[in-house]
Amino acid sequence: MANFLVIVVIGIALVFDFVNGFHDAANSIATVVATRVLKPWQAVLWAAFFNFAAFLILPLEVANAIAKIVDKDVISIGLVFAGLMGAIFWNVLTAWLGLPSSSSHALIGGMVGAGFAKVGPDIFTSKTLTTLRKTGTFIIYSPLVGLLLGFVLIVVVMWIVHRIRAKRAVNKTFRSLQLVSAAAFSLGHGANDAQKTMGIIAALLIGANKLDASVLDDPEGLPLWIVLSCHGAIGLGTMFGGWKIVKTMGTKLTKLEPMGGVCAESAAAATLFFASINGIPVSTTHTITGAIVGTGSAKRLSAVRWNVAGRVLWAWVLTIPGSAAVAMLSYWIVEVLN
Amino acid sequence: MDRRAVFFLIASVVCLALTPAIPVEEGKPNITWIGWMTTISFAVLALFSWLDHRSRARRS
Repeated sequence: MANFLVIVVIGIALVFDFVNGFHDAANSIATVVATRVLKPWQAVLWAAFFNFAAFLILPLEVANAIAKIVDKDVISIGLVFAGLMGAIFWNVLTAWLGLPSSSSHALIGGMVGAGFAKVGPDIFTSKTLTTLRKTGTFIIYSPLVGLLLGFVLIVVVMWIVHRIRAKRAVNKTFRSLQLVSAAAFSLGHGANDAQKTMGIIAALLIGANKLDASVLDDPEGLPLWIVLSCHGAIGLGTMFGGWKIVKTMGTKLTKLEPMGGVCAESAAAATLFFASINGIPVSTTHTITGAIVGTGSAKRLSAVRWNVAGRVLWAWVLTIPGSAAVAMLSYWIVEVLN
Repeated sequence: MDRRAVFFLIASVVCLALTPAIPVEEGKPNITWIGWMTTISFAVLALFSWLDHRSRARRS
């Protein structure tokens, strides 16, 4: 029975990963679609491929951080199930509302909420608090770093190309470069986001005594099937991406030209690479939004539609408490059914 | 008033305020430099943005 439940919860974790890819597909391809470099179906295939290929390039530090968020003595099948329910509910709700919120923070909120429902304030061990502090500070830093890099990149690029008279050739060059920047961003997205599910599956297997806890010290020792299934699920999710969010990210926040698209994606990709290497679970949504705002504000601050950015900000603020509340409720229901 | 300079200045203050909250983990690289780097960068951008705005205002 326990084995069956473990398989079911792993299945749900992979569904979460799929929904994550679905929800965040827009982040990878919004700028490419908005600037008409690729048709939407071409863009999702492009992004999905690089989402999957990410495991070949970046280390598994984020998976390690997530696996440690709830103490291995506290984790149980019911807890992971409830945490995932909280995160999935929040993702579906924000996707339905067309808000680009963060799947990552929904997952962290869900796990902490379910843990809190199980053991109360004891959930906040020093490891959990460190991960929460790191995640919490980078909720603010990741969009700001994206914004900063996006702004600096576009100013430097504009300074380089402003003397070139053949504007059409410049535009053509940047349209081609967008393929590279979109690929880099998809690699960063695949690495950071797929690893969160890997961390959850690893924690579940450790909790169920199916995996040795030593993988927490050496994340590269994670079984390959976990790595491949998570990247496969997020890649498939991206292929079925959420178009409503593409519209908000690519056209409503600020109007993007190919040059802006390249700078925004490159800035966001650099931020995600940094976060993945340092084991910081960041939101790809926050990062690309910051980078898009950065490139848009280089022209003029009024190029950014602040009322849309305000809606996005509220979704960010509410994600962790919202998903934590749903996860707590789910955990209590699981307990009652038990 | 240059709105962009104000925006960068606020971003700089937020980064500075958050820098002490970045955890330093044993056996992992210290990443508090991100806090200092963003604080200084946004402050420099705020200054440049304000100077740019001022020179444009004088010309017109």
